[in-house]
Amino acid sequence: MIGLGSRRTARRLVLVGITLALISAAAWAAPQRGWRGRGFSSNSGPTPDVDYENIGYDGRFTFARVKFSPTSWGGSRQHAWGLDLKWNHDYPRADRRLPEILGAVTGAEVQVAGSNIYGLDDPELFRFPWTYLCEVGFMQLSDSEAGNLRDYMLKGGFVVVDDFTGWHWFNFETEMAKVFPELRFIEINSTHPVFNAFFELDDLSFGSPYRAQGGGMPRYFGLFEDNDPTKRLMMIANYDNDIGEFWEFAGSQYILIDLENDAFKLGVNYVMYSMLR
Amino acid sequence: MGFESLFEFFFKYKPFVFERGDFVFAATPASFAAAALLVAVAVPIVRQYRQVQGNSTPRHRLALMIVRAAVVALGCVVLLRPSLVVATAVPQQNFVGVLVDDSRSMQIADGGVTTRAEQVSNWLNPENAELIGQLEERFRLRLFSFSDVARRLDDAAELRFSGLRTDVAGALEAGRQELGGLPLSGLVLLSDGADNDSESLTETLNALRQADVPVFAVGVGEETFARDIEVSRVEAPRDVMQNAAVGADVVIRQRGFEGETVQLYVEDGGRIVSTMDVELPRSGDSTVVRARFVADEAGPRIVTFRIDVAEGEVVCQNNALETLVTVRDEQARILYFEGEPRHEVGFIRRALHDDRNIALATLVRSAPNKFQSLIVDPDERFGGEHELFGGFPKTREELYRYSAVVLGSVEADYFTRDQLQMIDDFVSQRGGGLLALGGRRSFAEGGYAGTPVAETLPVVLDPPAAEAWHSELQVAPTLFGRTHPVTQFGETSAASAERWETMPPLLAVNRVTRAKPGAAILLEGTSETLTDPQVMLAYQRYGAGKSIALTAADTWQWQMHYDMPLDDMTHENFWRQMLRWLVADVAGQVRAQLDRDRFAAGETVTVQVDVFDDTYLAVNDADVAATVAGPDGREEILDLAWTVDVDGRYEASFTAAAEGFYQVDVTAVGRDADLGSDVVTGQAAELTQEFFGAEMNRELLARVAEESGGRFYTAANVDELPGDITFTEGGTTVTEVLDLWDMPLFFFLFVGLVGSEWTVRKLRRLA
Repeated sequence: MIGLGSRRTARRLVLVGITLALISAAAWAAPQRGWRGRGFSSNSGPTPDVDYENIGYDGRFTFARVKFSPTSWGGSRQHAWGLDLKWNHDYPRADRRLPEILGAVTGAEVQVAGSNIYGLDDPELFRFPWTYLCEVGFMQLSDSEAGNLRDYMLKGGFVVVDDFTGWHWFNFETEMAKVFPELRFIEINSTHPVFNAFFELDDLSFGSPYRAQGGGMPRYFGLFEDNDPTKRLMMIANYDNDIGEFWEFAGSQYILIDLENDAFKLGVNYVMYSMLR
Repeated sequence: MGFESLFEFFFKYKPFVFERGDFVFAATPASFAAAALLVAVAVPIVRQYRQVQGNSTPRHRLALMIVRAAVVALGCVVLLRPSLVVATAVPQQNFVGVLVDDSRSMQIADGGVTTRAEQVSNWLNPENAELIGQLEERFRLRLFSFSDVARRLDDAAELRFSGLRTDVAGALEAGRQELGGLPLSGLVLLSDGADNDSESLTETLNALRQADVPVFAVGVGEETFARDIEVSRVEAPRDVMQNAAVGADVVIRQRGFEGETVQLYVEDGGRIVSTMDVELPRSGDSTVVRARFVADEAGPRIVTFRIDVAEGEVVCQNNALETLVTVRDEQARILYFEGEPRHEVGFIRRALHDDRNIALATLVRSAPNKFQSLIVDPDERFGGEHELFGGFPKTREELYRYSAVVLGSVEADYFTRDQLQMIDDFVSQRGGGLLALGGRRSFAEGGYAGTPVAETLPVVLDPPAAEAWHSELQVAPTLFGRTHPVTQFGETSAASAERWETMPPLLAVNRVTRAKPGAAILLEGTSETLTDPQVMLAYQRYGAGKSIALTAADTWQWQMHYDMPLDDMTHENFWRQMLRWLVADVAGQVRAQLDRDRFAAGETVTVQVDVFDDTYLAVNDADVAATVAGPDGREEILDLAWTVDVDGRYEASFTAAAEGFYQVDVTAVGRDADLGSDVVTGQAAELTQEFFGAEMNRELLARVAEESGGRFYTAANVDELPGDITFTEGGTTVTEVLDLWDMPLFFFLFVGLVGSEWTVRKLRRLA
């Protein structure tokens, strides 16, 4: 088992965390520049209500995004509603692009006219056994939300965790300990069926947006039923990766087409794994 | 006074004598002369009425003339000496066979004091003047006992009343043949008529009639018990898969307990596995209840369906009925072909993941012309890891290896015409199971109308709506579905219905409102917007197999829905129960069965085997052998021979020497290859069937008597039998002329006619 609990990995992550913490502190002090940051302010406390229209359920695959109360949030010109709520990164374009690609390359019946956003305390979430969760470095879970997420995954739900790096892991791990105190994240490689669920991904060493910012090579960690990697994978965490960003900007000048392809392949595989395994 | 006594009072003889005899006028010349004289004298007397007037009208005079003419006619009839010509047995020159029921049901004490056996023994006592004493005066008697077979007795004391079966037809046939060379006046049958082994009663009665051997049947016991509860019959599957929910139809009959509620216990090897309340029907009626239990232990199991004995019951032994259920710890391989990736696939696979008796070989069309085979428990017989690499089977040999096929959301156009026909044949000829799931490419929406698969399905495929339709429907079992093994989720029907009310709704994308005639609907879906309920789950028997239509598209909601408790197993159990039920009676190429599952020690049992090749065509030239392992560990090898009557059928017999289980392993080898094997189990045990349906069967006994030319008696009139049996055409007989001129009816007619004439004359002053 390869886990975050190993000494070497922990040491590396501590160093990365300290470095990123310093960088983040600097970033909060002054607006950043570059493709990820164009205008930023930080707040804590309740987030403003935002309007969105869920497409609902009609039996077809429908993108479902999980929202949560972030540890901090702020205004942002690059995110939906002009707010950086963390969970809304890459919304709504990423949520549309993946279903479009999924419908184009697979035989799945797919809803492309819209998507859904649900909180973990919303019963409707349980009608979508595949869901997307991002920026978990800022995620806070209440006890009821943790309980619901646990039920969701144990009943058969599959969660894709994306868009987090560095010290975000600590927050994520802490919050997930509320959900599954008995489980550990296990690192998986290209031999795991999730990476061959539709596309054969023999090599996972492709880039990520974080890489462009000096991050490490993406790594993939899973939560398995009974901590057994031969059993069902309930959650996959794209650590040091942000495939939602690739989905969002697919076809734009920002993204190399190979990276787009790899991100979509991962996304399609995640959906197919959740459907078939 | 009964009809027969009244008849005898007026007509001098019993109706039976009239039936046996021929009516004649035994007139002598003197009789004719007397009659003529009477007429000659009467005519002028009658004419006198024309002349007398008195206080009468012509109508009165006409009536008097008719009455007087009737008196004259009556006198003439009497003078012509009406008679019955009958054949009567010559005393002590004819034989009578007395057949005595020696089965266990004769131990029943209908009235609570005297048993049927005691009553019969009393009749058979030579000193008893009522029956045997009188018979012995007129005939030479031959005594037989019978139960499953008949045998000669020297003495009634040899009767044991312990036979395990009653074969009335066999007994009559044996009696007729045994006494065939003797002058036989008839057979006397002393029995309760509780026949449970006869196969050819009609043939036997024809033979008796042709041989002029009337049967004088005496019914022993009560026609209806005062108080009794009987578990009359159990219809349970012979073979089930381990851990399957088993549904058994239990027929319960009662007298004297109308409206009372009793508990029905289902016991597996003495362990109670299910209980249910049963409200007893009207007295004499039967009720059918569906008992449900889980067959969790592999091997041959004796399952007992029992109701506690209530106070005052005449028969206690019929409160429990045992049946043999073979629980097979085998793995059925099911092909699941899904035409679109969807969550239903993963959830179904997970529901069956830990089920070692169901191996689901899944083939998913993940993209146009891209397939994934998801194989659990690779089996080399099916290609191991490469199973289904060639896509959906293209030959019958390949498809027929599976026990069932699950068709997901895949359009009919995907298949060739031959493949569609093959699916139909898979069910109708091979005897496999078909389960069709709802989906955007299923049923009518998938273009199946008019294809062979549409014939196989239990639902009618109406033309699909012009626009895609979908609706979330609350699912509820039909009355039948509440207690069906697939859809019963509770110990009782009510509990099952209650459980279903809490189930989340399911999505349907195929509008299906009609099941085919002969199909059974188990689940229906409703919503506020639907006028007609949706058929959610229905099945039908189709040829040798069965098909199920499940029109829901997302049963995974029963697992995933927010309201479903995490540890709820409804989704898993639904799929496991449904697929187990689907493949429960799917047989292989070699199908063995015994002529009966339970038999008595010492009986001969026939092994019957049907043999097919890999396309399920009957094979007549196979080498078929069976190894019979008895309870003492000894094995007997049987070579089975083709029966010729039925293609592919082979038979052989063995004798079950001792009580216990007999396991019969059958193998068949064809010209080119092994055709397969099968195992069947039977049990030699003390049978209690004599106590079921044990009320005196008047209908059967009366039929035997009537059709053979004899007569039916009960204890109330058995004393008439010795006299009646004298009038027989069998054996050595003499013709006897019985006068009827002196029968009381003529006297009463004469008195009546003369009296009425006299009265009229007095009133009209004609005298």
